[in-house]
Amino acid sequence: MQMIDGFLFKAKKNRWHYAYLFIAPVLIFFGLFRVYPAVETLIFSFFKVEIVARRYQWVGLKNFSLLLRDDSFIRAISNTFVYAIYIVTISAFLGLILAAMFNSNMKLGSLFKAVYFVPFITSTVAAAVVWGYLYDPKFGLFNMILKLLNLPQRGWISSYKDALGSIIVFSIWKTLGYNMIIFITGLQNIPETYYEAAVIDGAGPLTRFFRITIPLISPTIFFVVIYNTILSLKVFDQVFVLTAGGPAEASTVVVLQIYNQAFLNYRFGYASSMAFVLFFMIMIITILQYSLSRKWAV
Amino acid sequence: MGGIGIMKSTLFQQGIKITGNTFVYFLLTLFGILMILPFYWMIVTSFQIPENLITFPPKWWPQPPTAEHYRNAIKKAPFLLYYRNSLFIAAISVSSSIFFGLFAGYAFAVYHFPLQGFFFILILSTLMVPIQVTSVSLYILMARFGWIDTFAGILAPNFASAFAVFFMRQTIISMPVDLIDAARIDGAGEIRIVINIISPLVKSVIATMALILFIDSWNDFLWPVIIINSKYLRTIPVGIAFFKDPYHINFGPLMAATSIATMPMIIIYLFLQRFVIKGIATTGLKF
Repeated sequence: MQMIDGFLFKAKKNRWHYAYLFIAPVLIFFGLFRVYPAVETLIFSFFKVEIVARRYQWVGLKNFSLLLRDDSFIRAISNTFVYAIYIVTISAFLGLILAAMFNSNMKLGSLFKAVYFVPFITSTVAAAVVWGYLYDPKFGLFNMILKLLNLPQRGWISSYKDALGSIIVFSIWKTLGYNMIIFITGLQNIPETYYEAAVIDGAGPLTRFFRITIPLISPTIFFVVIYNTILSLKVFDQVFVLTAGGPAEASTVVVLQIYNQAFLNYRFGYASSMAFVLFFMIMIITILQYSLSRKWAV
Repeated sequence: MGGIGIMKSTLFQQGIKITGNTFVYFLLTLFGILMILPFYWMIVTSFQIPENLITFPPKWWPQPPTAEHYRNAIKKAPFLLYYRNSLFIAAISVSSSIFFGLFAGYAFAVYHFPLQGFFFILILSTLMVPIQVTSVSLYILMARFGWIDTFAGILAPNFASAFAVFFMRQTIISMPVDLIDAARIDGAGEIRIVINIISPLVKSVIATMALILFIDSWNDFLWPVIIINSKYLRTIPVGIAFFKDPYHINFGPLMAATSIATMPMIIIYLFLQRFVIKGIATTGLKF
């Protein structure tokens, strides 16, 4: 018996090299292209980086103190938060409402699902180019429809007031299908018997929705909220295409500021300090997700 | 009496159900139209003669249809090349992520080795540092490698996927250990076990992962637009983003270009939609 144990132990031990061999490629790729740049982002945020001259000059906290006085960046942070709040509340909420409608076995269910999902699988850039045309103040479909209805036309993406809102409307259109699908899956996991019991007890549809559906689906709601928040913090493609942050920084966001500072102004150190702020925000959301999801055991 | 009462109430309830259902269908149809209206308008515009694009009220159907915008779009940008670049990058990044993810997932699921937990958390924690955060320093690293404006540079952050490792591990860990032991007793080596025994068993997970990674790679924009300078390396999203001439916007060719860029994928999606939706719903994944 002891011999067998010893043999098994040895056999297990002998497979260590396989374990390391199998995880080595992933570790090398991630170490080199993900972890190392992540660490360097932190380091560079304390430097002035000149990439062509390969000169790195220590500037201490100067980048961060500049950030605090950078109106464009502060605008970007507040826009990103506004964007996140709208996406999370409207897109997630609408997704839940639409999913609740689906749950009854309906005839055209799969057709609707397929249609709602088309924007989500389409490239954000291509879809945003199409929306840029719809939003065109002169020839765009939206203003033509407003004119047909005798309503006042809007400036959409070319107006200071509407630009961020127009991007938000586009993004709700883009993400609604995903949120709906996730909620449909969550709703299907609620046992039918709960509803049957509630019906016997005389609970109406609204009572059932608020007393059974909402409590049982809260882990899914939580996931959708976190997912949409992180996606919102990372928003870039549609802003780049639709407004490029304009007019006059009205619709600028954090990632666009990072892009502009690094790749238009070549201020790599300064852009790194912005990237570090973005990382910090994502980390807070992730820690929140981790600690709360343990509580709910999802 | 009682019978009539029951009948009345069921009729009443049916009435609510029918009006309720009509309302549900109405709302779902309304939102459904809003979902596809942009695509409809894109296609209509791409076939509309130029004069019709500036008339009011708008023309909802191309009358007469023309292929002129498509000819102009193809003249202006090499879409075939964009497709080839996007396909090449997606093929390499998807197959490499799946292949290395399969082996790493197997190692984390089956073996017990020192620092196992640490490495697993390390791989998962890269999800917290997305490309939006690392793009600046990754660009500097690529400059040191001489990989700026190369396929290697575009692919660098996409050779492996933390999601692939995670889902492979979750799938393999739920499989019976006896199976692997039996294969070992039969004298199969570890690499052969992964390739010949495990991979056929997890092929549906592999297919789902491949599909999601493919869509992800196909639509990727931020990193390609940073690392690509040359026109001939452009992927479809980068090509489309720079198709627009900022000083002379011509919506006809622009909509023809976006149709060329999006319609093949949408048609493929319509054939695979059940599989796509199920895959994304069960893994909760994207992008």
